[in-house]
Parts: sequence; C-alpha cells; structure tokens
Amino acid sequence: MKNKRYWRGLSERENPQPDTAQPEFAEPPAVDEGFDISLSRRSFLKAAGFSLGGVLLSSCGRGPVGEVISSLAQPEELVPGRAVWYSSTCAGCAAGCGALVKNRDSRPLKLEGIPEHPLSRGGLCAVGQASVLGLYDDHRLRAPLSAGKPCSWEALDAEIIRELDAISRKGGSVRVLARTITSPTLKAALESFLRRFRDGRLVVYDPLSCSALLDAHQSAFGLRALPRLHFERAGVIAGFDADFLGTWISPVEYAAGYRAGRTLEGKPARQSRHIHFEPRMSLTGANADERIVLGAREVAAALAHLALDLARRAGLPAASGALPACPIDAGRLRGFADELWAARGHSLVVTGANELSAQLYAALANSALGNYSHTLDLDRPSFQRQGDDGALQSLLAELSAGRVDALFTLDANPAAELPRPGAWRKALEGTPLVVSFAGRVDETSALARFTAPDHHPLEAWADYEPVAGLVSTAQPVIRPLGDTRPALESLSAWTGNRRPALDLIRDHWRGNIYPRRKGAGSFEDFWTSTVHDGFAEISVPAGRAGAFRPSAIRPAAPPSAAAQPHQESPAAASGLQLALYAKTGLLDGRFSDNPWLQELPDPVTKIVWDNYASFSPDAASRLGLAQGDVVRLSAPSGAHLELPAHIQPGQHDGTVAVALGYGRLGTERFADAGPRWLQGRPTVAPGMRVGKNAAELLAFDGGPISFDIGGVSVSKTGARHELSCTQEYHSLQLPERLASEPGETRDIVRETGIEEYRRDPSAGNKQEHGHESLWPEHVYEGHRWGMAVDLSACTGCSACVVACQSENNVPVVGKDEVGRRRDMAWLRIDRYYADRDGGTDVVFQPMLCQHCANAPCETVCPVLATMHSAEGLNQQIYNRCVGTRYCANNCPYKARRFNWFQYQKEGRLSNLALNPDVTVRMRGVMEKCTFCVQRIQEAKFEAKRLGRPLQDGEIRPACAQSCPSQAIVFGDVNDPGSRISRLRKDPRHYRVLAELNVQPSVGYLVKVRSRAGNGGGSEHG
Amino acid sequence: MAEIPWILGGKTPARVTEDICAPIERPPTALWYAAFAASASVLLAGAASMAYTLFTGIGTWGLNRSVGWAFDITNFVFWIGIGHAGTLISAILFLFRQKWRTSVNRSAEAMTLFAVMCAGIFPLLHMGRPWFAYWVLPYPNTRGSLWVSFASPLLWDVFAISTYFAISAAFWYLGLIPDLATMRDRAGAGMKRMLLGFFSLGWSGSARSWSHYEKAYLLLAGLATPLVVSVHTIVSFDFATSVIPGWHTTIFPPYFVAGAIFSGMAMVLTLMIVARKVMGLEDYITDRHIDVMCRIILTVSCMVGLAYLTEAFIAGYSGNPYERFVFVNRQLGPMAWAYWTMVSCNVLTPQLFWFKSLRGRIGLVFAASLVINVGMWFERFVIIVTSLHRDFLPSSWASYTPSVIEIATLAGSFGLFFTLFLLFCRFLPAIAMAEVKGILHPAARPGAVPVRPPAGGPPVNAVEGGVS
Repeated sequence: MKNKRYWRGLSERENPQPDTAQPEFAEPPAVDEGFDISLSRRSFLKAAGFSLGGVLLSSCGRGPVGEVISSLAQPEELVPGRAVWYSSTCAGCAAGCGALVKNRDSRPLKLEGIPEHPLSRGGLCAVGQASVLGLYDDHRLRAPLSAGKPCSWEALDAEIIRELDAISRKGGSVRVLARTITSPTLKAALESFLRRFRDGRLVVYDPLSCSALLDAHQSAFGLRALPRLHFERAGVIAGFDADFLGTWISPVEYAAGYRAGRTLEGKPARQSRHIHFEPRMSLTGANADERIVLGAREVAAALAHLALDLARRAGLPAASGALPACPIDAGRLRGFADELWAARGHSLVVTGANELSAQLYAALANSALGNYSHTLDLDRPSFQRQGDDGALQSLLAELSAGRVDALFTLDANPAAELPRPGAWRKALEGTPLVVSFAGRVDETSALARFTAPDHHPLEAWADYEPVAGLVSTAQPVIRPLGDTRPALESLSAWTGNRRPALDLIRDHWRGNIYPRRKGAGSFEDFWTSTVHDGFAEISVPAGRAGAFRPSAIRPAAPPSAAAQPHQESPAAASGLQLALYAKTGLLDGRFSDNPWLQELPDPVTKIVWDNYASFSPDAASRLGLAQGDVVRLSAPSGAHLELPAHIQPGQHDGTVAVALGYGRLGTERFADAGPRWLQGRPTVAPGMRVGKNAAELLAFDGGPISFDIGGVSVSKTGARHELSCTQEYHSLQLPERLASEPGETRDIVRETGIEEYRRDPSAGNKQEHGHESLWPEHVYEGHRWGMAVDLSACTGCSACVVACQSENNVPVVGKDEVGRRRDMAWLRIDRYYADRDGGTDVVFQPMLCQHCANAPCETVCPVLATMHSAEGLNQQIYNRCVGTRYCANNCPYKARRFNWFQYQKEGRLSNLALNPDVTVRMRGVMEKCTFCVQRIQEAKFEAKRLGRPLQDGEIRPACAQSCPSQAIVFGDVNDPGSRISRLRKDPRHYRVLAELNVQPSVGYLVKVRSRAGNGGGSEHG
Repeated sequence: MAEIPWILGGKTPARVTEDICAPIERPPTALWYAAFAASASVLLAGAASMAYTLFTGIGTWGLNRSVGWAFDITNFVFWIGIGHAGTLISAILFLFRQKWRTSVNRSAEAMTLFAVMCAGIFPLLHMGRPWFAYWVLPYPNTRGSLWVSFASPLLWDVFAISTYFAISAAFWYLGLIPDLATMRDRAGAGMKRMLLGFFSLGWSGSARSWSHYEKAYLLLAGLATPLVVSVHTIVSFDFATSVIPGWHTTIFPPYFVAGAIFSGMAMVLTLMIVARKVMGLEDYITDRHIDVMCRIILTVSCMVGLAYLTEAFIAGYSGNPYERFVFVNRQLGPMAWAYWTMVSCNVLTPQLFWFKSLRGRIGLVFAASLVINVGMWFERFVIIVTSLHRDFLPSSWASYTPSVIEIATLAGSFGLFFTLFLLFCRFLPAIAMAEVKGILHPAARPGAVPVRPPAGGPPVNAVEGGVS
C-alpha cells in the first residue's frame, strides 16, 4: 500500500506536493553531531537524577486537576463567593409565583420571591422554597430510559419517531395527558405535535381538581375559566371548605391578597372579615374570624341556602327546589348573608368543593353580590387550574378500551395521584406506546415504555402565563446535571425538527406574546427586559364571559347526591364522611421525595413524615381510638386503606380526614433519612413508603373527582403506628389538674377583637413593667437588630420554616428523631388551640431565637461559645462549643437546637444545596437562629463598598423574605425611622416572657380577629 | 455517765492490727472474687456504653430539645452527693472530736474518692464534644487567647470538684501513712514491702513524726471542712442561677448540702454494714456506730423534708405562675411518680429511725439505707427533669425516657464504684488502725495522744532501708 496517498483537501489532491516540498523547519535544525545515542553511565545518572528530581519537585505543588480551567478573563457577573440572582418563575405548582434564584459559584442555592411580582408579591411558599433541593436529587434520571434501561437520546428518538410514523400512517390516536400547563409555548408545541395525527388530543387534569369550578363558569357564564380571585379587595370573605391560604390553587397569591385586606391601617382600621365553613381543621379555617364546623354535605347545604338568600335579595330568579335543611341556625346564616350583602361588590364567596352544584351556588352568590369583575375577575381569568375531569374520565375509558395507540404523560402521574390508580395502571400497561417525560421513576414512568426525562425547572428555559395578562419566564441557572432534555425540545425532535427550547420559546413569543406587549420597543428589548424582571404584563384579549345565567342552577340536584350512595348517619361508625385533602407543603404529592417537605410539620397537626386519619375528639372516643391506633377505612366503592388515627380538635364529628400525596414510589429511600443507632428506628420500615396513598379512596364516577366520600366505615385493626409530631396538644391553658385556678392560661399569645382594637389600639395588650438592673445594660452604639412578628398577619403557612432550612443548612433528621423531640428547625411555628363557644380557635406563633439583651444562654456557657454582639445579636460560635447543652436548658423559649448526631453526611449530591455562607454544624454542637447574620454582613459590606449608610429593609432574613403575608419585619432598632422602630412603638407590640427581663429583640403584634366579643387576650393569656 | 467503749472485744493494739490486717493478708475469698467479677462486669458494660456514646453522639441518650440534661447530670449530682459523707466524717467529725468516726472514716474517705471519680465521668461524657473538654480549663492557649467564662456555674463546678478531689485524696493518703507503715512492717521482703515502704514515706513512728502528722492532719481537716459546704453549694448553683422555674431558687445551696450529707451517710451505712459482716469487723463497726449514723440520717432527712416543704411553700407564696406550675406539675403531672418516690424514700423511710429498737435491726437499717440511696437519686432526677420538661412555652413541653445506653452508663458508674471499693478492701486497711488504737482506752482521746505503731515493728533504720 505504499502508493496510497492521503490528501487533506481537494486542492491538495489536485496539486500533489511531495512532503519534502514544505519542510517543517525554515532551516534544518542543528544536530549535535557529538551526541552519542548510547547512554553512558554518567549521562544515565544525570538523566535519572534530573527526571527524579523533576518529578519530585513538580509533585510538590498542587496543580490544577480535571477540567478546572481558571478564567484568564473573569466573566463579569461571576465573582467567587458572591451571589448572582436570576429572575425566574417558580415551577413548584401551576400558581406561577415569581422567583429569584440565588446562584453562588454557578449553582442555585435558594429561591426567593420577586417583590414586584403581581401575583406573589415577594412571597414564596414552602413548596417553592424546597424545589431547589429537588434539583440535587440523586434519584433523578440521568439519561432517557427505554423499557426501563438507560439508552441514548438518538436511540430513543429513532424508536419514538418510528412508532409515531406508524401511528400517523394508520391514522391512530395519540393522547397527551398533562397536569395544568401554563406555558404558552409548551401548549402551542403540544397542539402542533398533536395536529400531526388524525386523532390527537391533549387531556389536562389536576390531581387537586378544580374542574367543577371551571365547569360551573362554563354553564353559568359560557366560559370555561377560573376567575382570578382578589382577596385584597374583599371586605367579607365566606369560605366553604376552600383552603385558599394553604393549598388551594394559588395560596401565595391569595395569602398576599388576604393580608393586604387585613393591614389594620387607616381609620377605622382596615380588616376583612372571614367566615369559614369546613369539616376539618384546615390552615385557612384556623385563620378564620368565624369558623363553622360542618360535614362536607352540610357545608354545601349552607352554601346553597346562603346563595339563594343572596339571590333573593338581588332579585335573581334562582329556583329553590328541594334543598336539604339548613344545617346551622337560619338566623345565624342570615346574619352572614347580611354581612355579605352589606359588602356588595367587595365580598367574596369561595368553595373548594369539586362539585358542580356547590360551585354554581358560589357563582350565584358572587353574582348576586355583584362581585364579578371586582373580587372575581373573569375578564382576566386565571390559568392556574385547567383540568377537565370529564375529559379525564373519557381518556380512562378510551385507554381501558385499548382505543389509544400512544399516550404521552407530561408532568403527570395518573397511576398514583388519580382515583382508581389500579385502573390507570392497567390502562397504561395495555397501551402500546406510553412515553413519560418524568424526571424520575414514578408510578407512571415505571410503566412507560420510554421515559424522556425533562430538565429540572432550574435547568431549563420556560415561559408561563399563570393569569391572563401576566407572562413570566424561567431561565436555566445551572448546566443540566444529567443527560436530560426539555420536553419542548423532545417534542420538536419527534416532529422531525429538533430545536433548542430557547429558540422555540423566543419564536413563540415573537409571534404571540410580543404583539400583546404594553409599550414600545423591539422584540429583543421586550425579551431581555422580561427575562431580567422575570415577568411582564401584557394586554388581554377582550373577555368572552357572558352574563350570569341563573338557569344554570339546577335546583333539583341536592349537593353531591351522586356521590352519596349510602344514607348518611354521622353518628354511626359506618357512616363517616371522608374528607380527602392536600397537606400544606406536600400538595398532590409530586414532591413527596423532598425530605424538607416531608419533615415540614403540618401547620395544624404538627405531624411529620406520615399521613393519618384525623378524627374529632368525640368521634375518637366514640370509636375507642387513641392517637396512633391503626384504623381501616372502607369506602363504599370497596377501596380501603389502613392508617394511623390522629385526634384533631376542631374537626367535624362525622368526618374523617386523610391527606393525599403520600405513599409514593421513591419514598422508600427515606428508610435511612435519620441517624442510625442502637435504638433508632428507620423513618419508614424497609421497603415501605412514607404514608399511604389515599388516591384509591377518591370517588370518580360520572362527575368531577370527588374529595368528599360518604358512607365510609372505620374499624380498628388493633395495630399501632406511632406518629411523630413537633408539638403536642398542650394549649396555653394549663391542664385542668395542674392549674392553680380554673382556666389558668399563659400570657404567650395575645389577641383581641377588631371592635376592641378600633376603640383602643392597645386592646388585649399589657404594659411591660420596667425592671431595675444591678448591672450595666448593654450599650448598642451602631446598629441594633430587632424583629417584629405580626400575629395578625401570620397564617402559619410555614414558608418561613423551609426558607430558614434552606438558607441555614438545617439538617433533615428523620421521623424517629422528630418523635424524640429533636427536630432541628431554627424557626418553628407554635400552634395553640383555645376553646371558644364550643368551637376551637387556633393561633400560630412563629418562634425563634429571641436574641435577648440579657440572654440567659450567654452567662451559662463555660467556654463563651455563645456571645452577645455589639449589634444585639446573640451569636453561637460553633467551633468553640463543647456541647454542655446548658444554654438550651436555660433558654426560656427553647429555641436552641443540639446536634445529637452527625446529621450532615459527606458525599451526598444534595450537599450541593448547602449554603456556603453558613457553617455546616457537626455533632455535639448547639445551633440556633442567627437572624441570618450572613445576610446582615453581606448588606453591611455592600453598603460600605458603595459608601452609603445601610437602608431600612435592605436586610431581610430568609423567613421575612419568604413570608407571603409579610408578617415578619426585621431592621435596625437604633434607626428611629425604620419600620421595626415604628412597630416597636405600635400599641399592639409586646414581647413574650418580658417579665423575665431577658429583653428579647423579637417582638410580637397582638392578633386581631374580626369578630365581636373576642374576650381580649384572656383566652390565650 | 459511764463511757461505753466504741470498740468491743477488749482489743489490745496488737489485736487491732491483727484483726484489720487479716483480711488483706490472707488470699481473697471466693465471695470477694464473685463480687469483683460482678462489679467488674457491670463496669465493663458501662464502659462499652460510654464508648458507644463517644463514638456515636449524645443522641444515644433519651434527651431532647427541651430536656437537655437528665441521667447525666442526675448521676453527676448523685455521686458528688455520695462523696460528701467522707469529708464530713473525716474532717468535721474530727474537728468535733467524735470518737466513733475512727471506725468508719477510712472507708468513708475511700468512698468519697471513688464517688467523685464516678461523678467526674458524667460532666465529661455529657459534653457534645468531650474531646474538647480541656477547653473548660483556664490556661494560656494559642487559640486567639480564648478564655473561659467565669460567669458560668459550670466553670465553678470544674474548680470545686477538682479541688474537692485533690483535698480528699490528700487527706485520705495522709491518714493512710501510719497504717501503710504498719503494713510495711508486717510485710516480708519483696515488692510489697518496697511499695509500702515507698508510700509510707519512711514513717518511723517517732514522737516527732506523730507531732508533725497530727498538725498536718488537723490543718487538712480544717481545709477540707469548707469544702463539705462549698462543693455542693456550687453544684447547686448550676441550677439556682438559671432562669428555669424549679431551678431558680435561693434555697438550693443548703438544700443540696443537706441532701448530699444525707445520701453520703446512707451510702456509708450501706457499705459498712456489708463490709463489717464480710470482713468480720463487727467489733470495730459496732451496732452503736450504726445507731449513731441512723440518728444523723434521721436529722438530715428532716432537714431535707423541710427543704421540700419550703420549696413548695415558696412556689405558692411567690405568686409566680411558672414556679407554681412546676411544683404542681411535679406532684400531679406525668412525672409525679418520681416525685412521690423521692418523698417516700427520703422523708418517710428515715422516720423509722425514731425508734431505737428499729435502729438496732441491722437488716432493716440496711434496707432503709438502700431506699434512701434510691430516693436521693430520684431527688436529683426530679429537680432536673421535671423542671425542664415543662417550662415556659407549652409548645416545647416534652417528655423524657432514658435509653438503654443511659441506663447502662449509670450501672457502669456503680460498677466502677464497687470495683474500686473492692480493690480498696483487698489492698488497704479498711479501718484506720492507728486512729482506732487511740480510742481503745477510755482515757485516750483521738488525735490527742499519739499511738505508737505495734511494739513488734522494726527499728527505724530498717524502715529507711525499706524505702531506699
């Protein structure tokens, strides 16, 4: 083969030149003629000595390793150790809250609300805060799966395209099953993808379905839409089993609005009134001014009576046929109607029931009150829920009948979160081609032939339009950790024209969003400013909603008659109503593999790592149940579930409540969530999952998914399952046996009524007595940090708890440790019950280190590991702490947390979510709230760098930042103009346990409820 | 009033030496081996659980975020309390010229040392990072001149206990010197004689030696006396200077000192009753000794009872709702059983000692002493745990259950105590021979008239030879 000639280009081929024609060197290199190739001993030793010395010397330094390449030119925005914030949109749920992503050294660490965002107004809920941990989940898929085995994208694309071509040739049917999609681009992409098939359809559902609410507007207004709710405009709010502050549709948006209506500002003090009807103790009910406990059916009946009463007043012709009897005193209900009527146009009636009749009655009430286009906006509706249970039902029928050739599940897990999961499983198994976009193996993707894992939302470009007229973007903040691909890109690949997601989004925006912009400017300007801000407001096409059609109300159908096959008798154990609900933080369970959310105590029950069947104390004693007794719930459909019992004050006697979203695939791994030791118990038994999946019990026959199931029988199994909670029932009222006078209560939470408050702003509060001191007091010459928590604003939603955990590297300790009362939360929300007129009141009190001026912890430490700073901070020095725990014993607020074990482990992917500004604590040291000292320092340095004084509000601890209702205010007490200084002079301001003269830096503002005859603070203290 | 002799059986000084040295000089009995094996096994189990705690973390205990101390500090205060009787008997009773102390002081002092050793384990072990325990010592260091906090009662503890241990050990050793010389003189040539010769510091038994010895002993007794009061006072400051209701009380110093003497006496009684039986020392530790100790116990029990009543009274009288609640909670709350165990053991049981006939029933006295030991352990448990488990904010109320590891650690401390005590009985005279000889004759006054070593002792130069 000597004459075979290699050529590099055509020119070379044409003009072959001998190799020698172009010598390598301009002139031949000088060759030392005297160099003898044979190695003398001397030169061998020289060479050996040189190489050995060279090797030794060069190995002395630590050279650059791997792919680390130092930047010769530092990217402008990348300064090691300095955070960069990117505007984005939270993808935790479909609510579309604005999120700022904190990036340090190229990895996202924390999500915070965008203060200017029109929906979330700076707040971000626990789910959103926790979603950053999901990014660093080592159970995420790193590559696409084909028949359960990793494969390459090329192979996957080839196979799927082949299958799809076959389907489209034979005219087969293709379905995409997705949870609510608020992304305009994705929706358009799906539509164009499905158009390629003769029978292609998109089926949208919501596990926490609001289908009936949309359907009601379809039949009443001719527009299937979700009105945007404006709680801030509502003076009177009537809630009917709608947990709008906790889990319902868009809790951050609603909580921000709710808070805006209760600021106690102006004259007379502005505070909405909230009347709530519900069967179980929800977060929203706990915040209500008036709470009426009724079974789910009675709630619906009360709503019907109220709506008809209002319709009569408004002169709307609504037929009232055979209605069930009014479940509460008619006079009382008329009183509520009077209140609503008086607040016509700025009141709001909401119901969370997924029942057409109930939603129609709510629509009727709101129409009668003239609330549409005031507190409910149908012209600029919300897209946060789009699910259609009817379509879902027909999809299941189609799938079961084998009439679907290909099913794509996008952000959907029907085999776990929908009613009749077994039927879904069978249907999925029987469908020839199932493709899942799930980022991890879940119940549905486990059955799918192909899994095309989507990016984590923090890795991908995305766009959203959560409510009409508000578009937002999400930008990637980290290079994808695995070989994943955005669904948008996958869809484009399968239509034969694979394009990056960013191009697809920009193209869609250029054609569809940009023309709706407000103001002038080029597309690039519009796009850049939107990505920078995270959101943009655009114009909305004219509303298509018609006028309210009272004829939509079908009086003949008593509420939920279809779902109630059995005669109801609340007294009998066999006739309980089952209320299936979403737990705050866990929602429909899509984040059930997030340990932060699993360990987030339920705001009301304070239980972690489990779901359970809640019974009222009366029902429990009737059934002979104690906390932790395992009961078997059997629904009339034949479905049954065994769950531990929990006894919940303030619940309806005829109702048993169970949280959805548990018992999910993937939670088996939490078996070793906590420390392992001799007497330690695993968080879940080997092979078991966290909680039980209650989706089986959901009713889904004919109408929308029903979360209220009648005729459920309860039987004790005799087994026990211990529930771990962070706080027991202890109320501020001392146990009767131990009180020195009947009704002795502790003065920890103070509250009053709005009337009392309007008369006297210091109502319910008490003057602090001054204390004489033998010692010189601390002098704070510069700043003095302080905090105020408005108990009136705090809803107990627990966003701050997760924010604190994320910011301060608070470890997850597992169920057993929490059960041993060793939860590590620096910020906890204390929940106290109080009896009131036979009902149960709930108050929430965020409790954290109070940074006392006379701190009891500081004096007792033998090694000075806890110190007082010149700015009033109580500092814990971890590396000095020897762990005597004396400080924790001596803390009156029990705000200190001890590292009982080595909780943080090396070598976990989730360690990437650790905040490098905060020390990771080892075992044996004490820790506690620092007022986010790292943020204080950062802001101070920044101010110093810019040569200006610190501004009020510049420093926001993680808890204050995340709070959707702005209940926490932090600032410099020494600055007379600061908000905190003003709040400390507020007549509502008080300090917990001030009588100990520990002089806490944290104050609380008296809780004001909108109700008459609230006995001041006497109930709680 | 005719003086009844404290030592029965008409002993001569030589006989005293014979009687007391006999159990040491003959080979150990099967009973000793059995007892040693048992206590050493318990010690081993305790050591294993301590090692487990050190390697795994304090999480292996039943503590939680509200109850930060429980078994650890309970055991610590309990053992410190046990240690108190030794110094009381050896120092205060010495200064008060109580003759009967001579029969029990040696063992009581040994018990003090061993109890303080047991106590010392717990403050070290209860630390989250015990490997940095030396940080509580104020010494010049290179860590940026980090210093200790003299405001912290825990630091005062460090000083109080180390002082107490040092003084007690010196006092005990000083008292041992004449007896060690006696044993040296009785020992044949060899290692034993060399060791005894070394530790008896060349004791010659000359009048000059005795004179110096007596002065030193008196001085040390005077030095040790304030410690009896100070150590437990300072231990009580751990609680008294805090803000926790149930801890924050001014009565704690005298209350703790009384409790310490009470528990120490009970422990001396427990040990002496067993020791005199096993070692055949009934003539030296007579029923009358036991009677006297019972009377002391009765007196101190009444003081402790008064302290309980005072605490309860002040809780009601103060008008402080938190304080009041803690006491009601102690008596009626979830841990009421511990409170009532404490009261019945510490206040009710000793009331038996009002009756001379009951004081003479050694079995009953032995049982009562055990009950009092249990009761005094519970006193500390009640103070520590029932105050912490329900303090100011009801949200943080919690309960406490000990873990297996904690129970094993407590047992291990008893194992250490008994192992050391058995070794002591085996190798050193359990009764101070020299001092007992001083009270053999009614005319002789303890400490005033020096008692010579037995006539059969070797000459002085031989002693020196033994040393060199």
